[in-house]
Amino acid sequence: MAKLILKNVYKRYDNNKKKNKKQNDYAVNDYSLECKDGEFIGILGPSGCGKTTTLRMIAGLEDITSGDIFIGETKVNDLHPKERHIGLAFEDYALYPPLNVYDNIAFNLRAKKVNEEDIHKEIMRIAPILKVDDLLDSRPVGLSGGQKQRVNIARAIVRKPKLLLLDEPLSHLDGKMRQVLRTEIKRLHKEIKCTTIIVTHDQLEAMSLADRIAIMKDGKLQQFGSPLEVYDNPVNEFVAGFIGEPPMNLMTVDITKQDNELFFDFKGSDVRIGVPKRYQSIVKEGMTVKLGVRPTDLLIGNENSKGSKVKVAVFENLGEERRISIRVGQEFLTLITTEEIRYKQGDIIKLEVNAEKTHLFDIKSGERINP
Amino acid sequence: MAHIELDNITKKFNKVTALNNISLEVKDKEFFVLFGPAGAGKTTILKTIAGIEFPNEGLVKIDKEIVNLIEPAKRNVSMVFENYALYPHISVYDNIASPMRSPLYKKDEEFIKKEVYRVASMMKIDHLMDRLPSQLSNGQRQRVALGRCLVREPNVFLMDEPLAHLDAKLRHFMRAELKEMQSSFNTTTIYVTHDYLEALSLGDRIGIINNGAIEQVGTADEVYYTPANEFVARLIGEPEINIFNVDLVNDNGKLKVNMLGQDRLFQLEDEVIGTLAKHDNEIVDLGIRGTNISYSLGKEDDDYIKGIVYSLEPIGNKSVLIVNVNDELIRLIAPNNLQAKLDSEIYIKIDMKNALFFDSEDKTFIIRNNQERLIKGMA
Repeated sequence: MAKLILKNVYKRYDNNKKKNKKQNDYAVNDYSLECKDGEFIGILGPSGCGKTTTLRMIAGLEDITSGDIFIGETKVNDLHPKERHIGLAFEDYALYPPLNVYDNIAFNLRAKKVNEEDIHKEIMRIAPILKVDDLLDSRPVGLSGGQKQRVNIARAIVRKPKLLLLDEPLSHLDGKMRQVLRTEIKRLHKEIKCTTIIVTHDQLEAMSLADRIAIMKDGKLQQFGSPLEVYDNPVNEFVAGFIGEPPMNLMTVDITKQDNELFFDFKGSDVRIGVPKRYQSIVKEGMTVKLGVRPTDLLIGNENSKGSKVKVAVFENLGEERRISIRVGQEFLTLITTEEIRYKQGDIIKLEVNAEKTHLFDIKSGERINP
Repeated sequence: MAHIELDNITKKFNKVTALNNISLEVKDKEFFVLFGPAGAGKTTILKTIAGIEFPNEGLVKIDKEIVNLIEPAKRNVSMVFENYALYPHISVYDNIASPMRSPLYKKDEEFIKKEVYRVASMMKIDHLMDRLPSQLSNGQRQRVALGRCLVREPNVFLMDEPLAHLDAKLRHFMRAELKEMQSSFNTTTIYVTHDYLEALSLGDRIGIINNGAIEQVGTADEVYYTPANEFVARLIGEPEINIFNVDLVNDNGKLKVNMLGQDRLFQLEDEVIGTLAKHDNEIVDLGIRGTNISYSLGKEDDDYIKGIVYSLEPIGNKSVLIVNVNDELIRLIAPNNLQAKLDSEIYIKIDMKNALFFDSEDKTFIIRNNQERLIKGMA
């Protein structure tokens, strides 16, 4: 167990200069991160954002172009992966097929010449936590994907690492098994209290598992915060659109004035909503901004509502919730409610918004505008 | 326009039975969804209707006419595949036009042009006509594939997981687009998916397939509120429905349940008591969805059951809370700002008005409260 610190870490791949024209681009760019001892951190981003490169630099599988990485009090820049006391579990399980589960988990301990008695004790401690105690005699070939990943993680934690690194551990599994193992990983972290980093492209996975999430794009850290922070206060348009499913409605709006009241006027349609009080000091008539509203923060007004009248383009009853899509120009505006309502295509509703839960972003830079 | 009927279809691949005596009727102009897990036989049913697979036994009828011996091309069906299957070397325009240029349906170029543009504007791809498939995003490719399917007027559209290759966010929008266009299809459509959201959203009716057999056919409300058995109940909804054993106990003439190792009895709704009293087993399975369980940090009344927090997973606008009650893991929905330490005490209350009851042996549906109203969409 240990804290993990990344200080201004850069990574540039320049071994194939001819092929790669954008050789000045950094795969990881000025990346700093501080994870507390025992914390569960998610590194989240779309494919190609540099998240796996970051993980590999922490593990020592990839050189650092510049910057420092500390595990505990030790600077590990030049330490061999073996000396970093790290447990690693990758997306593909990479178990040794000829060995049974017990021998697979024991493999690294035996390589370190731990005596068999201690190995046995450790495996017997770990196996029940990961629910592989009934599988110890089986060969990998007979196991399900979920079971293989449990064995893989058991093998990573049996050495009592200071740091556990998980690279997309759930992405090979089908929906149901993914949910089950997600919960198990959360429980595991509680049991072993090891500082854990999970790399994933799935925002649901990062949100549900991590204490804090580091969101990356194009090699750069965008935001680092708790699941609720990144959900409620995204720092820019990218984070706002990336976190949450279905995604936040992000609409280009013009600020207009009528009878001394300010409105957000949706581009390409006659839909508009009043500018909430808290924004009135920072927006002016004639400005264009990006307005973000989560589908659950759009509401259906009653008869007395002053909200814009809009036509239901699509109504979906999805059991637990109902979704309404409204056409705004070429795009859809999505509204989600758990109330037991029924609408059909073409019905007219009045659109209201939970004013406290609206977000504004700069139209050019995409940065959050705070009141 | 077509009415489709499968009559006792059995299909075997060597020794494996892919379809086991399936009978199914799809009405004219219906949007019918075949829904089930991977390997259930959904695509095999589709291919049997298209004529790409031949059943070992049984009849395929289109508009009452037996088509078992009619070639795929002459059945006038139009199929969309999961992997788009566009011609890579020709433009979007030519891809969409291709079915109308086939020798069988040959149309003149003027007609083709009108038709291609009609469909392309519906699919919102009319600005992409000169591009090659490789120059399109996945979402655009899927629209082209759908457009090519819609361009002539076939008897039946067959769609095999057309959205499965898209990421979750794009899938949400494409599903809405598809639903918006549905009314303009005006043609019998059979749509295969493993995603319960697509099934509930799109299907006029849904056929739930498992191991080559049909588990249930019904509207979205029917399969959601009154699943034919526990398999169907578990397949629809997230987090998965909670199902556990309960004991039916006669308490001074009134039927109640004992559940989750509690030392008290819980009231049943009057509507279900009569049916459950006639049931010949004292043990039944109770199913309850996560949205119908509430929680509290203290014991507010006798109906609250003590458990410990097994896991708390925020997933955006809500959290999945898993509570361990006497070794039964109960999944429920909590607000995303709930703070609860793992292994701390918590109380849950099961809303018996929304409980489903299943036979504990053959796992079939027995009854639920408010059944008639719910399946008529009057919730």
